[in-house]
Amino acid sequence: MSHFTQPTEYVGRPARRVDALDKVMGRAKYIADYRVPGMLHARCLRSTLPHARIVRLDVTPALKVPGVRAVITSEDFVDHGLYGFPVKDKYMLAYQKVRYVGEPIAAVAADTPQAALAGVQAIVCELEPLPALFDAERALDPDAPQVGPDRTDGRHPNLKSDHMLVCKGDAESELADCPIVLDRRYFTDWQEHAYIEPEGVLAIPTPEGGILVYAPNQSPFINQGNLAMTLGLPHNLVRVIQPTVGGSFGGKDDIIYESSAQVAKLALITGRPVRMVFSREESLVASYKRDAMHMHIRLGADRDGTLRACWFRGILDSGAYASETPFTAWRASIHAMGAYRYKACDVDVYCVYTNNGYAGAFRGFGNPEVCFAVEQTVDELADMLGIDPIDLRLKNCLRLGDETAHGQKLTESMGLVECLTTVRRISDWDRKRAEYSRQTDTDKRRGIGVAIMYHGMSLGAEGADYAGATIAVLPDYSVDLTSGLTDYGTGSRTVFTLIAAEELGVRPERIRIQRPDTNTAIESGPTVASRTTVLGGNAMRAAARNLRQTLDLAAADLLRCDPQQLIRVGEAYVGPDEEAVAWEKIVDHAREMGLILSAHGKWEAPKIVWDHHHGRGTPYMAYVYGAQVAEVEVNMRTGSTQVLHIWAVHDIGKVIFPQGAYGQLYGGITQGLGYALIEQISYRNGYIQETNFESYLIPTSVDVPEITAQFVESAYSYGPYGAKNIAEPSLVPTAPAIANAIAHATGRRVRELPMNLERVLLGHDLQPPASTKPAQIALSIAPRSMPQPAGQSVVRHAAATNGRRS
Amino acid sequence: MLIQLTVNGETIAVEAPPDITLLDLLRDYLNLTGTKEGCAVGECGACSVIMDGRLVNSCLVLAPQADGSEIVTIEGIHAPDGGPNDLQQNFIDYGAVQCGICIPGMIMAGEALLMHNPHPTRQEIRMALAGNLCRCTGYQQIVDAIEATAKQRQGEMG
Amino acid sequence: MFDYIRAKSIDEAVALLNDPHCVSRPLAGGTDVLVQVRHGPPSFQRLVDISRVPEMKIIEQRGDEIYIGAAVTYTEIIESRLLQETATCLVEASRLVGGPAIANAGTLGGNVANAAACADGTPPLVCLDAVAHIRSLNGWRAAPVAELITGPHQTALHRGELITHFTFPILPSSARSVFLKLGRRNAQAIARLNVAAAGGLGADGRINFARVVPGSTLSHLRRFVEVETLLIGEAPSTELCETAGAEAGRVMVEATGRRWSTEYKEIALHGLVACALRRVFHLEN
Repeated sequence: MSHFTQPTEYVGRPARRVDALDKVMGRAKYIADYRVPGMLHARCLRSTLPHARIVRLDVTPALKVPGVRAVITSEDFVDHGLYGFPVKDKYMLAYQKVRYVGEPIAAVAADTPQAALAGVQAIVCELEPLPALFDAERALDPDAPQVGPDRTDGRHPNLKSDHMLVCKGDAESELADCPIVLDRRYFTDWQEHAYIEPEGVLAIPTPEGGILVYAPNQSPFINQGNLAMTLGLPHNLVRVIQPTVGGSFGGKDDIIYESSAQVAKLALITGRPVRMVFSREESLVASYKRDAMHMHIRLGADRDGTLRACWFRGILDSGAYASETPFTAWRASIHAMGAYRYKACDVDVYCVYTNNGYAGAFRGFGNPEVCFAVEQTVDELADMLGIDPIDLRLKNCLRLGDETAHGQKLTESMGLVECLTTVRRISDWDRKRAEYSRQTDTDKRRGIGVAIMYHGMSLGAEGADYAGATIAVLPDYSVDLTSGLTDYGTGSRTVFTLIAAEELGVRPERIRIQRPDTNTAIESGPTVASRTTVLGGNAMRAAARNLRQTLDLAAADLLRCDPQQLIRVGEAYVGPDEEAVAWEKIVDHAREMGLILSAHGKWEAPKIVWDHHHGRGTPYMAYVYGAQVAEVEVNMRTGSTQVLHIWAVHDIGKVIFPQGAYGQLYGGITQGLGYALIEQISYRNGYIQETNFESYLIPTSVDVPEITAQFVESAYSYGPYGAKNIAEPSLVPTAPAIANAIAHATGRRVRELPMNLERVLLGHDLQPPASTKPAQIALSIAPRSMPQPAGQSVVRHAAATNGRRS
Repeated sequence: MLIQLTVNGETIAVEAPPDITLLDLLRDYLNLTGTKEGCAVGECGACSVIMDGRLVNSCLVLAPQADGSEIVTIEGIHAPDGGPNDLQQNFIDYGAVQCGICIPGMIMAGEALLMHNPHPTRQEIRMALAGNLCRCTGYQQIVDAIEATAKQRQGEMG
Repeated sequence: MFDYIRAKSIDEAVALLNDPHCVSRPLAGGTDVLVQVRHGPPSFQRLVDISRVPEMKIIEQRGDEIYIGAAVTYTEIIESRLLQETATCLVEASRLVGGPAIANAGTLGGNVANAAACADGTPPLVCLDAVAHIRSLNGWRAAPVAELITGPHQTALHRGELITHFTFPILPSSARSVFLKLGRRNAQAIARLNVAAAGGLGADGRINFARVVPGSTLSHLRRFVEVETLLIGEAPSTELCETAGAEAGRVMVEATGRRWSTEYKEIALHGLVACALRRVFHLEN
């Protein structure tokens, strides 16, 4: 693997985020900051019932409201706006039925947000309630209310996706033969992405009859495809640009596509720009969440702690629509047994429709759920056998050369053991574990817990896995990049910049990466699954290498030598006569030679094969690994849990942008901490109870402890410079590490998330009476301010003074 | 109604309805969109500005309440040459920025802290940020950046 | 749509609040009112801003009493040396109300007038036996805070009345007061439970002064006299604090009956009260 052991100039070295300056100055523009002349404001009429038939929908009264310019329903879209991937089951606006509280039914565009709301309120919409389904575990009962679309294959319509299997050997007979079998049930609740920027989209009609959409989505090309399909436009009349995105975490896919189609249609009808911006309340009610999951695990082992068999069943509550949950269920199934060796394994995960909002992609994508189950069960086994939890994991965890439960041989880039041994050392595990095991009965007890994880890289067997990139030298000698994979806060634009700088041998300051734009970038699949660094990075590397070849040719021509004789000193080229020639001169010469100074790059992931029917094969090209230790203090009188410190050691291959990688890890751990202890979305009779940040609590700066993070750089030969990925894996082991620490402190297992005050103190949750009010208030929030038209000054300067230095 | 106030050192008068918030006034009437709306109920701190020397959630200040006040927004925080000041530069250098939507509020909270407490401990920095939610960073590099700025400013003061 | 006017004095504020042509409500920190108007149409036509009325911003000692203006913010309470020395429980509560921006805006008078069951400012006031002083067109009246707050978001304030300040007697020199809060997270969290407690010892080393005021507990905020009675005359001990905590739980259940949250709150209140009393009597190690 010599190609990435060479010293690097920019990759892996301290660097700054390319968009940080604009952000710290307050100059970065998010959708809510855009002002376009003539812009209309859009708002949706949303369902206030969890399941109902639309018996009457009359928008004509809304059209009579002063200021209202257009109103649309599903009738305004091709095929009623049916979309969705991998399952087409959702409409851009509800058609015939609504299946969750908050589902959009109609959309209004008006001169002001106030008029848009008045228009929404004027729409005549009669909903006839249908029997609703809220219990995922009952979804496949023969008499369960039908939520999912009709099926012709005789299977239950509430079954959203087929069984997701992993099969190795005969788990039942292996378990029957095991002296120790743990049989446990777990539940993980819904989680809200809680990006601090609520959803928003701006659509501008183009003179050609097309549409330009500014959408903070993750994957602009999917949005473009949906828009073309549901608006009936050719792709080349639909352009999607991603502006600065205020966080996403998997959350700005479908909900943004839907809003995009709505505002695009309204813009096409009115011939004016249309913008829709959600309030926080609307965001919480309308947007998709991390699925809730019911899990049943049986783990068999020998008395010496050797794991032998894992049997796992999961029911994933995906709510009213599929979104990406069939893929979530698949990823959950692949990771359900954890990063361990087994003789036999039997995993089956399925995914059902209910009327509880709807679930979609969220950082970790099924793995945080199953990791919570398996890592607690393994920990419990260690407790039961009197074996140190890290020792038990070291005894059983996957190592180089092992075959996974799926039948995949791990031939390289395997740093799990090093993660575990490092986290043991830096957390002072052995001393603390012993000390806290001897605690006398005090009000506040400490505990320390560990969890490990592995996470398949990129899409795996979900689908085609490729990315493209472009690079060009502009007339002012700056370098321009595009990528089909996007940056919604993750730092990938900086990663691409560093890779291009490395390959081209120019300073990063010379390089600028464009905002993702379907007109200029190369379609690269979705920006999901932590795939951007590896897929997009390799594509960028290929593009830069292609351009470098051209420039090397020009340099060789100018310096009258073979390209192989060229040496680089900084940006300059040096030939056999040892005189340094500035990079600009080489560029000039290349142009004189008539060479084209732009290039494309494409990279495709290595082919893998997964047999869905038999649950065997190679689900992912490779894996990232990690181990986290959490130290907690539990107030035994109140159930209040403080996380005192977290140590995290992750094998992510070569680190390309260190500051960004650490940031991803800290941030993911923080989301995992929230998932573990405080974040709770309650759908009660289908009505969400948490509609703003006073009730949906995410960790504040005083809830998060100091985090000690370290990377194991176990190079992956297919990764750029040996890189793997970090975004999702960071949060996967946090909740089970905290759970195991709580169990260590209290001697009690909490098997449901979040581990709130009640669950830690009592062992079970308590719920206040269900209320429909929060959702109803959320959908009727009235804007008071009126955004002033662009360019109109309402300010009178009383007296000009000099600007103040702060 | 006519609201007169000082924003980032500039005295201005603006005609606006009495029932809008200071956040609305800044964004919709003064076109100062660096101040963000994240929740509109005082829970997230994205709209933090400094009003008469104190950090406030501009979504919980009625615009006319700011009449006669001195407001500093993110647009008023910069070095004399218009570039980033030391705190902003440290946010860049310490990797405190990811998606960036909370960052203007974080910088205002950091400046407000350092005005009142030039020698904060890390825990005091965390407490000063307790009303500013960040979903990306886990706060650690933000605390690093503020801590570094405090130390640098102490050094400058001798 | 509503109007705004800023009052410069208590007299002006009261006159504006009693304007027969305009339904008016006081505006102080805005932390409650501006959330309420977001959630539905306002019940008033005008907000009278009292946040800058100088007479309502005073914190001072007047004889044996402490005087706190109703428009005093939590930050001003936190920063007051006088209150740090004489009303620890109120200062501790003010630190836990929310982040700095909330503490800079929210006022003590607003907290009492809003009368949320989970308020952090009110249990300390009741613990300190604070009296609210109220101005109306008819002049002044005074009401103990414990009587003024009649239930969740309910007070005995009449339309047109304005809380101008609070007074409370300085605690005996031997006494100490504390405030504990239990929330779902460490900052910016509604209290799941809270408690203000105070106590002091006589020359004989026995408790001669005790106040225990749990919040987020009863529909009507009050001193738990049953718990206080149990403490008086006893020598402080960990066991006594436990007995007192258990009694607090019993009193709560007796008053509220069993609700959805009782199973948790009964245990947690016991622990919280016991912990608060241990701090009051310096029994923490």
